[in-house]
Amino acid sequence: MGTPAAVARELVREDSFFLPDFCGMRTVFLVVLVAELLAFVLVLAGDVSGPQIWDSLALLSLFVQWSALLSAAVLCGLRPWLRRLSLWLAAGVSYLAILVVVAGVGEVAYMLLYSGFAQPGIVLNAHGEFLLRNMAIGAIIGAVVLRYFYVQQQWRQRLESETRVRIEALQARIRPHFLFNSMNTIASLIRVRPELAEEAVLDLAELYRATLTLGDGLVPLAAELGLARRYLGVERLRLGERLAVEWELDDAPQDVLLPVLSIQPLVENAVYHGVERLERGGTVRIAVQRDRGRICVKVSNPVAPGGAQQRAHGSHMAIENITERLHAYFGRRGSLRGIPQDARFCVEMCFPEVRSMAELQ
Amino acid sequence: MRVLVVDDEPPARERLRSLLAEIPGCAVVGEAATGAEALAAVAQASPDVVLLDIRMPGMDGLEAARHLAHLDSPPAVVFTTAYDQHALAAFEAQARDYLLKPVRRERLEQALAAARSLNRAQLEALQRAGAEAARSHVSANVRGRLQLVAVREVAAFKADQKYVSVLHAGGELLIEDSLVSLEQEFGVRFLRIHRNALVCPDFLEALEKTPSGQCRVRLRGVRETLEVSRRHLPELRRLLKGL
Repeated sequence: MGTPAAVARELVREDSFFLPDFCGMRTVFLVVLVAELLAFVLVLAGDVSGPQIWDSLALLSLFVQWSALLSAAVLCGLRPWLRRLSLWLAAGVSYLAILVVVAGVGEVAYMLLYSGFAQPGIVLNAHGEFLLRNMAIGAIIGAVVLRYFYVQQQWRQRLESETRVRIEALQARIRPHFLFNSMNTIASLIRVRPELAEEAVLDLAELYRATLTLGDGLVPLAAELGLARRYLGVERLRLGERLAVEWELDDAPQDVLLPVLSIQPLVENAVYHGVERLERGGTVRIAVQRDRGRICVKVSNPVAPGGAQQRAHGSHMAIENITERLHAYFGRRGSLRGIPQDARFCVEMCFPEVRSMAELQ
Repeated sequence: MRVLVVDDEPPARERLRSLLAEIPGCAVVGEAATGAEALAAVAQASPDVVLLDIRMPGMDGLEAARHLAHLDSPPAVVFTTAYDQHALAAFEAQARDYLLKPVRRERLEQALAAARSLNRAQLEALQRAGAEAARSHVSANVRGRLQLVAVREVAAFKADQKYVSVLHAGGELLIEDSLVSLEQEFGVRFLRIHRNALVCPDFLEALEKTPSGQCRVRLRGVRETLEVSRRHLPELRRLLKGL
């Protein structure tokens, strides 16, 4: 059984090239099927009638299947090389390959069928026309087929990236580590300090409700700071004196909008990678400031000796997810970056002062 | 059964303590909040079993268990954790028992009954698979007592025939690790200057030449000088220039 992250990675690793594997069973079957249908169409549209229609179908099928299967074989062989080209170049080369195969098969077919009994003058004309017709049909069908593969691959890719984003969003939210540790704290408090245990349960409920219901919305700063406070309240029970918090809110406007669960994960990182790793603990500092028409939230924590916080996987996930959502709402005016400091790790999240969804449009 | 409870979170210790109080025949002989404290507590109270949290600041549970394994009769160890994907995967792979927090009383009883001590190879494998590979201390059993030296205080490791001696400000300690494994574990913190020696660049004081033409380094706080082989000389020179 894979973790969500492993599943997401698996999905991404899935082929990103637009041509399918033409040597695969399924694709070969599909090619044969489509080619045969094309032969049917050609025969039905032609002017042959009566029992001769079967001869005509057999001959046409032979010709179309040769062209189709040879094209598939060539594309199968070229695929590893095509993958390395840009999309347009790869599409162009595949298209050209199909045309060459169709022309080649047409030429051979012509030689076998007509060369024996045709007369010199007419031959040239009929020969040219035969080839041109073949090429035209090949060009149209080839274009349709390539386009089909391209659209299908686009659709599959979009599906994959949507799944990935959803999984990452879930992961970037509150860590299981926090949930189980909090449960443990509550289990111990229930006997000795039931009122504190109750408080912790209420805080946890509120945090998890935020992760579940609000999805991808925007919330006022006051609400988001409230979530961070609830989170710190629970952690404080667990870590005791080791966790100190400093708030610098000054004149922060409480009603500006920002993505839900954007501050809390930063605070959680500060605890998980910073304070919790220090024997004597430390102070998490949360500051909100106005900066040239934008609101900036800074969260910082002391760094454990030898601990490189930036590289930690979980921390990276949360930061990527928040950045993605900031960009989705605010475009370039939303940003998140790490600021190097001595012995502390600081992240700064900035976004424009927006008070209603209408202002965003 | 004498039990030592080790966890960095006060409520977690509290809870284990109250659970243990309900189990007949169990007595809590001490508590510790870090790996280092746990080692001291073991020396003092000599428990039968240590309930050891994996994730702790400073020296974590896995490292503490590795040091404990040097003792002549090490206590049995039961690891506890709330949630730690890497560590748990390692435990599953080694078929080792562990307790998930919050712990159920019956589960705790079971684990205590089945608890045994782990050997060093098992612990090393567990720690390597866990989040942190490098230890914060090296240790050895000196006349029945555990002696620890913080890695950041180590000036050099020098291999003799069978042992590696740790040269540090406070003196010298013989450990059983091999020079190669130390080099792998601590990476760039130490530089190889000879087939038989690794030095920490922070402690470098001077490069000296003996009358016989041999190069030796002098290290801060260490009385003897160490030989530098011709092969490793250029790298050392480059490093000294950069200092």
